[in-house]
Amino acid sequence: MTSYFTLIFLVVFLPLVLLAYAAVPKRLRGYVLLCASYFFAWCISGPRITFMLISTLCVYGIARAMDARIQKRDAQLAQVKKGKREIKASCKHQLNQLLVAGVMVNLGILIALNYLGFFGELATAALGLLGIHAHFEFPRIGAPIGISFYTLMAISYLVDVSRETIKADHHFGRLALFLSFFPHIMEGPIARYTQTATALWEGRDLSAQNSYRGMLRMAIGFAKKLLVADRLNLYVKTIFTDYASYDGGLIALGAVLYTLQLYCDFSGCMDVAIGLGQFFGAEYPENFRQPFFSRTTSEFWQRWHITLGQWFKDYVYYPVSLSKPVKRLTTKARKRFGNRYGPLLVSGIALFCVWLGNGLWHGAGSQYLFFGMYYFVLIWLGGFIEPNARAWAADHGIDRERGAYRVFRTVRTLMAVFVGELFFRAEGLEAGLAMFGKMLSNFSLASFADGTVFTLMSKADFAVALFFVAVVFIYDTAYERGFDVRKMIEEKGFVLRWAIWIAIVMTVVIFGAYGFGYVAVDPMYAQY
Amino acid sequence: MQEEIIEILEDINPEVDYKTCTTLIDDRHIDSLGMVSLVAELEDAFDITIPAVEVVAENFNSAAAITKLVARLVEEEED
Repeated sequence: MTSYFTLIFLVVFLPLVLLAYAAVPKRLRGYVLLCASYFFAWCISGPRITFMLISTLCVYGIARAMDARIQKRDAQLAQVKKGKREIKASCKHQLNQLLVAGVMVNLGILIALNYLGFFGELATAALGLLGIHAHFEFPRIGAPIGISFYTLMAISYLVDVSRETIKADHHFGRLALFLSFFPHIMEGPIARYTQTATALWEGRDLSAQNSYRGMLRMAIGFAKKLLVADRLNLYVKTIFTDYASYDGGLIALGAVLYTLQLYCDFSGCMDVAIGLGQFFGAEYPENFRQPFFSRTTSEFWQRWHITLGQWFKDYVYYPVSLSKPVKRLTTKARKRFGNRYGPLLVSGIALFCVWLGNGLWHGAGSQYLFFGMYYFVLIWLGGFIEPNARAWAADHGIDRERGAYRVFRTVRTLMAVFVGELFFRAEGLEAGLAMFGKMLSNFSLASFADGTVFTLMSKADFAVALFFVAVVFIYDTAYERGFDVRKMIEEKGFVLRWAIWIAIVMTVVIFGAYGFGYVAVDPMYAQY
Repeated sequence: MQEEIIEILEDINPEVDYKTCTTLIDDRHIDSLGMVSLVAELEDAFDITIPAVEVVAENFNSAAAITKLVARLVEEEED
């Protein structure tokens, strides 16, 4: 069992978990899910799941220590009439110390398991530039599945406890399940403690309504992955591994198809994860909101991998922007450059931290660093351009939200996204730059005219993939216009809604890209 | 206080009717860059400190919610 997209998960693991969950008393259901989650992680990562347990123990202990300090402060405040400010400041200081310790341990494990090799290469290269010959090589232990996801969830939990927006959980099992629950452990969504922890541990009864919602959502996820993403892999894999053999036109198409592949793979996995949560009465946050309708790159990241963007906004962007030194700088910049451009200039500091973190979070590689910096520059510059573009449109009587100008904004954003994804998927920064260079210098449509394009993927595969891409686009367009397609199906009569479900499943069975001629593709974000 | 806050908001994004809008954050009328400007302006205008923990949608979704937040922080500063 390597993912949700395996037969053993669907016909053995999931039914057994559901059976055990329904069979045991309510108070034991959380334990069933916890055991199932650790078993699932063990099947993928083996003994490396010990690191997940260590992180959970650390987070549990530190949050309890924070809780004890907060209670001590409250008792002190109740006894005094003067000096409350000092008592609060002392408590805040100690909470911050505990928070730093907790974040360091969790980030330390993540860095040790995922990034030491990369940092060693960087250090070796940097010293080489200075003429010092040194070689840093670290043993590769390998990380457990989902470490990048549960580490962010663990940090958000600690920060929220230290900010006193949530109380420390005194139940170790509930916290452990919140961090390790098998639907989210592979690719997220990155949930917050208040969104899922209680619901999961409560052991809510399985209901026909929730089961149908979960099954429908899962079927849609499987359809996106097997009908579109895994089929497009035929083209994408070849073009990105052997780009030197193809012209710029085919590489440009590769960038577009990879973006579609990633969207259908990742959002399909999110459908499966959210659907699995719905079985057990847990509502995971949405991770995508029709990203290809975005007007700016900034908006794109509010619609794509939403929970990651929100995590960085809440735990990096605002804390950095609103820290004392940055605030002082903002005040000075406002006096010097005005109310709009002053804060914008300084916001570059926080944005840089966000996109450095975002890039590195995706992986230890120069292409990911480049990817982060690419979006940092686009979004920061976009902030400067936006008020001028708004003023220009107003002066010329152009409605930016409708018609040709609206289409222009979306197309421009999509082009930027395709280029970003080209670098993201490329096998190293050097390969990314070479591919981008070929797109500009060797662009040709000849390979489309002479049929070379179909040596990468057959006409039949193109036809099936593009048909289902069109279906996904119509589905997304309906959502964008306020039609909740899933809800409409869920509200249909028994016969019709099950007929629709069976139709989706049969379509996946008949047209899915699996078996002979196809390579099973692991969920793409599970590697991060 | 609310009128002064609406003036600050209009300076950041003039395309919104702040007297009626209750989804400033949810509908992204104020983005994260605008939020930093808004916080800086509010802190200057009312001599308060707005910590990151207060920067959540429920405190900034409407002019009324912002007024409530500012009034509470002013009161806490005076304590």
